Amino acid sequence: MSKPVKKQIPLKEGFWTTPKSEDQPRLIASKCEFCGEIFFPKKDNNWCLHCYQATLKEILLSREGKTASFSVVMQQPGGGFYKGPVPYAYGLVDLPDGIRMWSLFDCDNFEDLAQEQDVELVINKLHEDNEGNEVVTFKFRPKK
Amino acid sequence: MKNKNQMREVVVAGVALTKFDIYPDREIHQIGSEAIFGVLKDAEMAFPEIEAAFCGSVYQGTGSGHQALREVGLTGIPIVNVENACSSGASAFRLAYQMIGGGIYDVVLVLGMEMLPKGPIPSTAFRPWELASGFNVQMANYANQTQAYMAATGATVEDFSLITVKNRNNGILNPNARFRKSVTVEEVMNSRMVATPLRLFHCCPLADGAGAMILCAKDKVKSKSRAITVAASTLTSAVYGEGMMGDGSLKFPPEKGIVELSAHQAYEESGYGPEDMDVVQAYDTMAPSELWEMEKLGFCAKGESRKLLRDGYFDLTGKVPLNTDGGLMSRGHPLGATGIAQIAEIVTQLRGEAGKRQVENAKIGMTHVMGAGPNSSVTVLKK
Repeated sequence: MSKPVKKQIPLKEGFWTTPKSEDQPRLIASKCEFCGEIFFPKKDNNWCLHCYQATLKEILLSREGKTASFSVVMQQPGGGFYKGPVPYAYGLVDLPDGIRMWSLFDCDNFEDLAQEQDVELVINKLHEDNEGNEVVTFKFRPKK
Repeated sequence: MKNKNQMREVVVAGVALTKFDIYPDREIHQIGSEAIFGVLKDAEMAFPEIEAAFCGSVYQGTGSGHQALREVGLTGIPIVNVENACSSGASAFRLAYQMIGGGIYDVVLVLGMEMLPKGPIPSTAFRPWELASGFNVQMANYANQTQAYMAATGATVEDFSLITVKNRNNGILNPNARFRKSVTVEEVMNSRMVATPLRLFHCCPLADGAGAMILCAKDKVKSKSRAITVAASTLTSAVYGEGMMGDGSLKFPPEKGIVELSAHQAYEESGYGPEDMDVVQAYDTMAPSELWEMEKLGFCAKGESRKLLRDGYFDLTGKVPLNTDGGLMSRGHPLGATGIAQIAEIVTQLRGEAGKRQVENAKIGMTHVMGAGPNSSVTVLKK
């Protein structure tokens, strides 16, 4: 019997683009055409929380940014929701579009992380599900 | 909302706390009812005098307040369970205060209680994808905020380790505290790393516990000499642009954040300011948060609290004694009971009944608690 092919399953649909060509994936966000505020993830409702108007449009975010802050988590989070490796790192990334957002960090060595570190978007494995499929998510990775 | 000067004067007629501890062999209704029996005695009142009850808890399930009251009395009164994360107790207190101030009831019971399993809180105040990403680690969320605060102010790990040392020393003098042992700066800084740069002893311990209060209109109080007036009670939620934990808008940061707003409203409502406070309870869920909360509450400029701390300003004998009962750091943090315990400590101090941790001549005090949501609640009390 042949081994079933493992699939890659996004943690949540609609968070990033999956281009067929050699283009890199980009995060999908909402931008208010009136005030310029940006929201990630993309808003379900066409409603700007800053200026209270139905003036949102979909945009793709920059793939590169800088860390604002980070923490390396040394213990399993409570509740059993997170099934990735421990320790792991997450924190805030500033993108040049003008948004600060939470993200996991993908690093070979946690010492590669620093404040105002240049980082770039990657989509890779968070954990394997019960069928052996890879659940993937967006992360930012320190640039060499 | 009625202007403060249109409201009746509301007083705290009684307070009671269980010891905050780990009770593997007790159930939530047992510690809840223990606090209610305690507060009836403290206020010299009988259960039938209670006209309504507001009960704060977070993870205790449906009708947990009803379960606790069922052990004490069944008089048909309205019982409302309040879940507002770590501000649940303070939120229940505020509802009671408003009901009496607005003339709806004369005597109201407030209860706050929690029992939790060992380990980090399984917080669900996040979206499912955030939970799956592991973003629900409060210590790591605070760690991010701490890193940003350190970069902005020059505060060091040693600075906020001294918060733990101070609060543990105060806890020794509080018979209700979970931890009653001092720690050294070295012990704090060598404790297990939880989420960089925060270590185990920078994080408040959980605990099981309950607190109860009876609030009443001034003319209903039995012991006038022990009654403490509620001068203000505020509750605020997120303001646009601040974010939950430093993840605010880069384009549109708010003029006042959630904490500043709750404090500002409390100062307006009470007519007092930070300079009038003789004793303070601030939210030390993580040691560094006590530093920045005092700044946001207006006690000093951003980045200055660490110097005040090192100068002894926040000690029991200092200018503004802070977390005199040991704070969350020593007392422990039974989520729904914490807001009540903070207010109870100020009431105890203003009554002059705080024993070895008594602040001399304390006449006005305040509390500040936060919670997921986010929530921020400030209470001002006066003798």
